[in-house]
Amino acid sequence: MSEPSWIGGPEWLEMAKGLRNERWQLADLCGLDGRDLGFDHRFEAVIQLVNYETKERRTIHVRAEGEPPSVPSVAEIWPTANFMEREAYDLFGIEFEGHPNLTRILMPDEWEGHPLRKDYGVGKVAVEFIPQPFIQVDAPGQSPGSTESKVQVDALGQAKPNGSEPS
Amino acid sequence: MTTTPEMIVSRFEEAGHGAFVEKYNETEGHMTINMGPVHPATHGVLRLLLELDGERVVDCQPIIGYLHTGMEKECEDQNWRGAVTIVTRMDYLAQFFNEQVYSLAVEKLLGLEVPARGRYIRTMIAEINRISSHLVWFGTQALDMGAMSGMFYGFREREVIVDFFEMVTGLRMNNGYFIPGGVWEDLPDGWQEAVRVIVEMMPRRLDEYEALLSENPIFLERTEGVGAISADDALAMGATGPILRATGVSVDIRRDRPYDAYGDMEFGVPTRTEGDVYARYAVRMIEMRESVKIIQQCLDNMPAGDYKNMDPKLIPPPRAELNRSMEAVIHHFKLVTQGYTVPAGEHYQAVESPRGELGCYVVSDGGSSPYRCHMRDPSFVNLQSLPVMVRGGLIADLIASIASVDPVLGGVDR
Repeated sequence: MSEPSWIGGPEWLEMAKGLRNERWQLADLCGLDGRDLGFDHRFEAVIQLVNYETKERRTIHVRAEGEPPSVPSVAEIWPTANFMEREAYDLFGIEFEGHPNLTRILMPDEWEGHPLRKDYGVGKVAVEFIPQPFIQVDAPGQSPGSTESKVQVDALGQAKPNGSEPS
Repeated sequence: MTTTPEMIVSRFEEAGHGAFVEKYNETEGHMTINMGPVHPATHGVLRLLLELDGERVVDCQPIIGYLHTGMEKECEDQNWRGAVTIVTRMDYLAQFFNEQVYSLAVEKLLGLEVPARGRYIRTMIAEINRISSHLVWFGTQALDMGAMSGMFYGFREREVIVDFFEMVTGLRMNNGYFIPGGVWEDLPDGWQEAVRVIVEMMPRRLDEYEALLSENPIFLERTEGVGAISADDALAMGATGPILRATGVSVDIRRDRPYDAYGDMEFGVPTRTEGDVYARYAVRMIEMRESVKIIQQCLDNMPAGDYKNMDPKLIPPPRAELNRSMEAVIHHFKLVTQGYTVPAGEHYQAVESPRGELGCYVVSDGGSSPYRCHMRDPSFVNLQSLPVMVRGGLIADLIASIASVDPVLGGVDR
């Protein structure tokens, strides 16, 4: 892809303050995983700005450096960045320093991983219907504690004949 | 004996419903409760964490993600044309706008021209879609304000429009009709009559709606001065569309940066200055009338010619061609199995959806599927302005505000 010009995090924060004073509005902020694009860095935040007075638009690419990758938050400058930065954090794991409430927004709070990263493959991660371990229950009429007459139950709760191997 | 909040809390806890009250602040008497995710007035699976002082809303925190299905990720597994069928499912009430913004972005990367007829068809269908989307808003806004007949009227007219979509695309929703390069099929025979029915019906019906609500004292009482937001706040929270125009900021991407055939159209951009629920109501009602004007212009000036770019390397040939041309069969096979590649690059395209600025940021690495397809959904961003609107108001006013923001949770969560 044609190389855009990137700026670093501190530079972005300075630039954002200046742009805000020139009445630029933040239209969009999203994360991008550049793993297969051949950049020197992997993660970046892509920012779309709009000026409603001059009807101009511009795009800014901010490198997310470090581990975890991080970018300064502009939620103080443009409050609308709040949700957008949470989304980029949720889906890409980009940390936004200084964000008032950087938590997951679309995925459940206890989710592991960041789904829009390129190494988080579709169809490669078991999400649900994980095979449950076999439960051993006492057969009807047997006293508890007896080790000999256990009925094996498969994941759907159906009894299997004694001695058969779990499939 | 009076009922104290403590008694309510303990009654819930005894009944095992402690989860209803998330938190009870004893010093201030503020109670934090959940509204939603399953609640008829939240228009989907929107959950609001409300901090209440009696009936008064102290704070409101939208919690979203209940409808998240990872559509942006799914797009990366589709070929460039197939991703249209994914993005159309995001904001399901304004499905054509999703297809339009994605198609425009991909056309920009491909450098692909759309013939005039294709652009006019897209413009006309999009404006009809704007009316149908606003009709759902009208119905739910009226219903939430206690006017149930509004719901019946809104959906009655929407039915006519959805039938028209079925006639053109074969589907009522999630159409997948716009493709990069134009539209999938030409308009069917008899489309002029069907559009004329809509164009003639809508102004009369809008008069009926306005007679029902615009000067209705109950409706005015529930909406005037309710959920007000200033222009500065709306800009700071990133609100676009009718919410921003109701505060007096005249922003409309159709007029400011014309795309498709909007450059040829004459239409007004209504604004109000109050910024309250009634102002948003008034803006949307006029917008529907303006849409009717655009549809009329498309109907009168529909150009003849190709409805899509006929580049055989990018656009599947018409069905009839496959019966007589071996070359068409080869192209069709190649496009269906592998798809086409798009030169590496990135583009952000914005269109004016019924809810505001709908953006699509597309990145290509030169392959046959999108490397990244991010949608800037207006509902997602507009939802942030809801807490500003409702702080200090009553719960009943919160209902009016949610309806006037008109969030579509499919678009919010994607």
